[in-house]
Amino acid sequence: MKKYSDLEFLRLSKSEKFFYKLASFFTSIPRAVARFFVGIWNFIVKKIFGTIASEIADVFLTFKNGDWKTRGSYLVMGLGLIARGQVLRGLLFLLFEIVFIFYMITTGGYWMSMLGTLGRVGPHEEYNEILDAYTTVYGDNSFKILLYGVLTIFFIVAFIYTWRLNIKQSKIAQEYEEHGRKLKSGRDDLRALVDEQFYKTLLALPLLGILIFTVMPIVFMILVAFTNYDGTHDGFNNALFTWVGWKNFGTMLSWEGGGNVYSAAFGEVLTWTLIWAFFATFTNYFLGMFVAMMINKKGIRFKKGWRTILVLTIAIPQFISLLYVSKMFAKNGIINGLLLNWGWIDQAIDFWGSTAHNALLPRIMVIVVNIWIGIPYLMLIATGILMNIPADLYESSRIDGANAWQQYTKITLPYMLFITGPYLLTSFTGNMNNFNVIYLLTGGAPVNPAASSAAGSVGYTDLLITWLFKITTGAGAQYYMASVIGILVFVVIAVISLIVYNVLPSIKNEEDFQ
Amino acid sequence: MKKILAIILALTMIAALCACGGGAPAASGSAGSGGSASSGSGQAGSSGGELAGTYDITVWCPDNEVELRKAMIEEFNKTNTDGIVFNATVENVGEGEAATQLITDVEAGADLYNFASDQFARLVQANALAKLGSKAAEIVKEGNSPAAVDAVTIGGEMYAYPLTDNGFFMYYDKSVIPEDAVGSMDKIIEACEAAQKYLAFDVGSGWYLSAYFFGAGCVSQWSTDAEGHWNVNDDFNSDKGLIAMKGLNKLQASPFFLSKSGAAEFDAGAAVVMSGLWDAGAAKDILGDNLGAAPLPSFTVDGKDYQLKPFMGYKFIGVKTQTDAVKAAALHRLAQYLTSEEAQLQRFEAVTWAPVNVNAAAADAVKANPVIAADMLQQQCCTAQGQVNDGWWNLAAALSATAKESGDEAAYKAALQTYADGLEKLKNLREGLIFVGAWNGWNNADEADTYILTGDGDVKSLTIEVPESDYMGGRIVNIGSWETGMGAAQVKTGADLIDVAAGGDDNNIVFVNPGTYTVSIDTASGEISITAG
Amino acid sequence: MNETLEKRHMGLRASRAISNTIIYVILIVMSVIWLFPFVCIVLQSFRVESTWQVGYVIPQKWGWDNYVALWNSDFKRWYLNTFVIALVVAALQTVIVLCMSYTLSRFRFKMRAGLMRFMLILGMFPGMLTMIILYRVLKDLGLTQANAVPGLILVYVASSGMGYYVSKGFFDTLPKSLDEAARVDGATRAQVLTKIILPLAKPIVIYTILTAFMGPWGDFVFARYVSFGTSAGMNVAVGMWNWLTPDMINQRYTMFCAGGVIVAIPVAILFMCLQKYYVEGVTGGAVKG
Repeated sequence: MKKYSDLEFLRLSKSEKFFYKLASFFTSIPRAVARFFVGIWNFIVKKIFGTIASEIADVFLTFKNGDWKTRGSYLVMGLGLIARGQVLRGLLFLLFEIVFIFYMITTGGYWMSMLGTLGRVGPHEEYNEILDAYTTVYGDNSFKILLYGVLTIFFIVAFIYTWRLNIKQSKIAQEYEEHGRKLKSGRDDLRALVDEQFYKTLLALPLLGILIFTVMPIVFMILVAFTNYDGTHDGFNNALFTWVGWKNFGTMLSWEGGGNVYSAAFGEVLTWTLIWAFFATFTNYFLGMFVAMMINKKGIRFKKGWRTILVLTIAIPQFISLLYVSKMFAKNGIINGLLLNWGWIDQAIDFWGSTAHNALLPRIMVIVVNIWIGIPYLMLIATGILMNIPADLYESSRIDGANAWQQYTKITLPYMLFITGPYLLTSFTGNMNNFNVIYLLTGGAPVNPAASSAAGSVGYTDLLITWLFKITTGAGAQYYMASVIGILVFVVIAVISLIVYNVLPSIKNEEDFQ
Repeated sequence: MKKILAIILALTMIAALCACGGGAPAASGSAGSGGSASSGSGQAGSSGGELAGTYDITVWCPDNEVELRKAMIEEFNKTNTDGIVFNATVENVGEGEAATQLITDVEAGADLYNFASDQFARLVQANALAKLGSKAAEIVKEGNSPAAVDAVTIGGEMYAYPLTDNGFFMYYDKSVIPEDAVGSMDKIIEACEAAQKYLAFDVGSGWYLSAYFFGAGCVSQWSTDAEGHWNVNDDFNSDKGLIAMKGLNKLQASPFFLSKSGAAEFDAGAAVVMSGLWDAGAAKDILGDNLGAAPLPSFTVDGKDYQLKPFMGYKFIGVKTQTDAVKAAALHRLAQYLTSEEAQLQRFEAVTWAPVNVNAAAADAVKANPVIAADMLQQQCCTAQGQVNDGWWNLAAALSATAKESGDEAAYKAALQTYADGLEKLKNLREGLIFVGAWNGWNNADEADTYILTGDGDVKSLTIEVPESDYMGGRIVNIGSWETGMGAAQVKTGADLIDVAAGGDDNNIVFVNPGTYTVSIDTASGEISITAG
Repeated sequence: MNETLEKRHMGLRASRAISNTIIYVILIVMSVIWLFPFVCIVLQSFRVESTWQVGYVIPQKWGWDNYVALWNSDFKRWYLNTFVIALVVAALQTVIVLCMSYTLSRFRFKMRAGLMRFMLILGMFPGMLTMIILYRVLKDLGLTQANAVPGLILVYVASSGMGYYVSKGFFDTLPKSLDEAARVDGATRAQVLTKIILPLAKPIVIYTILTAFMGPWGDFVFARYVSFGTSAGMNVAVGMWNWLTPDMINQRYTMFCAGGVIVAIPVAILFMCLQKYYVEGVTGGAVKG
């Protein structure tokens, strides 16, 4: 593509400018992606390896230059600090070491030793003739092994980090002592936690929660994709599960030949997910903006009343409103009942589609009902933003003879788009994962007759996220496949976000907003 | 200062770890902690001794049975001679929900639960059902029809106690449908049209729709082999299937036909509703004394009558797999009690569930109830519902739409062919080796059935028909994969029949001449041999 | 000259009147569509002649039967459970979210940017599957089935740090000079937060409490795992969800409507009262985040 200089660009006609911008947008995508990977590579090589190397070097140097107190800290954590009077810190280190060793001996070692195979002994059945009863004798539990194995690895990493910290502290303490400077007391430490170091106090609990209840499950989920954990290998009750390498990804992604049930279904569901996310985001966006402009128009009364009515759909829990709406549009629901009673139709309309023949109608229905749910939210946001547009912009444009449509395209829309750019992105990705609307309204129906039940009987309104859920509760309960889909959803969302972030100018610098 | 954060983090983590990981290595259940091997008076159930004790158990059953179930367990506690006392928590968990929950986590599930026949295979596979001992199996065999016994048997072993049936029949409004019309669909439709009332038959659902096909003499039986692979014996795609399609067309052609089920339709102007026992109460509420019930009628195609034969499933009580033989034995006692003749009659009285126990079913009180009597008659004329592949329901349901839209035989044949193709797809979703030939467009899912390699042990083989075409090549792959490791280069015997060079990068086996070939592969060594004929 | 101007004015006024009329018509139609389901749900909850779905809106026989049936069912327990969860989560989650967002808005420490990027990436993983793992963790802690309430609270609160976006956006709008002035006067960071920032942050605090309080009422997927068939541990969503399954809908449809009304009224009233803050939250924080 020809690149124009600024001057040349300005000389272009309007349509040329537009196409030039469009073209440069698309040509910049590969570069943005490449830049991202180069960034990751640099991060891994320079940052991580570099840091590890210098840390190891420092550990050796500290040992070489250390006195007995510092050297002792290599075995007994906190020794150097206690010996130099920083008792509080030292004791905490020591306590941590004791707990760690105790944990590793009592249970941690067991989990680690089993992690390679995820268990050795499966369950077996026994028959008690006297009582005429079968019982099951359980063996290892693959699920727990994987779960606590992951936790133990987290713990070991934390221990290594703490051990390194203990050495660094000892070194500093030794240096302080050598230079005759005063070390911080335990009281100083505590005081700092509400002052300069206040952020540590504030973040400790939230981050711990995220680590255990968000990060750990995600790590676990990713690992499940490499196992054969499913209904027939549930890890404890019927059979153990074990590692299978990349096999599940191969099953999911073997595109060639089109023979694979998963890859075909994945393609279809992904396409619909993207179509859904597009319509769900932009119908709400423009209609919501439109409604906000109507309500805010000069001369329209009961502004607050209109808003309050619309906002009801936000205020009432979705499981009530959506579940109720889904039943309203059911074949024997109230909508069909009313239409039949009024004589408008002579047969119930199958809004949610029980057969594949009318897959389009349920797809339109979920988008329409989503508008019902989504407009009020957008209306609130748009109202707030529209009020912030300086009124004199409109005044002066009116003097210039601009009509309402021109005002909209020249002032309102650009302003809105600029401010809500990031919101549009999060709302798009949010809609891709919009479990509630689909699950409560259609449950993914109508089912694709060609879809396999093993692959969760995927339906025409299923999004990737509801498909994933169906697989876990479906006939085969193939958790590993659900996990592969989860990872692919992540990849898709990450790629979309990456492209948008790199191309969208307005959101790069967060300080701009302050 | 960073360390303090790190330490707090770490300490809390330890706490969490210790709390959850605590005694985990010993998690494997200690079996038979009770006196399982104790003395033993030989005959279980005769004396009391070894089962006596108090057991805390959880029981799941559907909403309308909860109160009754509690009362029955109380009764059992009082009357049993073994000294068993159950301290039971009864929860409202429906049949479908129970299986879904149990498959997520068997451990946390109820010790005793209700489930329907369509969930049976899943539950056995999940090891969520305790096998019946030989004496328990005898009790079930004595008290139930062979069909019901079959329904609780997989691989020669029995896993549950039949509780009630789960099928549908016809409810009708006596004031609209005359007694002599009840046996014939044509007459029923006539009566409905005359009275401007609707006939509700939910042929949009495979469960209801299949009554037409079974009525026309078709079969559709799914089964799974030891490895969980599906197999199906199905002849919907036949002349008999065409008859069913014509019957469905006739039914749906009536302006007073509704593709719905549920007693609520009586409220919405229906005079006939095909539904099951679950609607008995509601139907009675709406129609009162006008409520009639009968087995499904027959339908007429080209002057011949065919009796509709609906699916008939069962509901069971199952005992969850136990680690303690004593508790397991006690639970089986309870399950036997809850499905005994007396209990089934009691349940019939309280919630009008049809008994399946042969003696209970013959009781006069049962026969006197018209709805139950209709259900019982339907039991005589039905298709036992065994395992069904989940995907089948929708596949079958799609047929009703074609039958409605068109009266054209060619369209029916096409729809039945699509159905048959769908069956192949459904059953072939599994692991295994297949031969993919380029002459069918490389589409291994559509054509896989003809090319599956079979055989016991390491050697798998198949016979293929290679048609005359531009490229008579293909290779062996695992279903769903596209590997190139089982092709021309691995052919040890019969290399003269193929053109090795033409196989190219994909390592395809390219036959020199069209014809019939037997291809076999030794999966241990990876060697392939080809013979002509 | 004057005349033409007047004409133009009149023309303008006329066109404005027309466009306003159109807008009113649209708004009225929209209001009807928006209110219709809620009106239906309320009316059906008073229907006593039948318990299943019917093809008309206004009941033939009115009565409190469905509400009496609710009172006699486990609904009370579910309602109490949900209320307790919502209350505790509203308190704890607000603390966590405020800590998180205030820190990320005001402090500049080494790992800050990395931490925010990391959480952004974490947020891209679909949470569906992690529920099974969380369920197992809670089970090992003994916090499932009958003990589901503390279990759910733990999970909701522990993962709430991820939702710092909106309130961080709000804190970003408060001028930093406020903090600095107070620091110069000798206040510690903790004092700055409690004495200076929190009083100013009232809208966002209320917004956070409101959203945290409303969340637990709607959770049915995870709550269903955790309660695992035990009625005593269910929240309203799980319990009422079962009523609309094909097995039960014909007996429980009107009860569902009554339950829906009972659940929706307090939440909706609370929302309407605090709507102002909610609007400030979504327009201020959500868009900037």
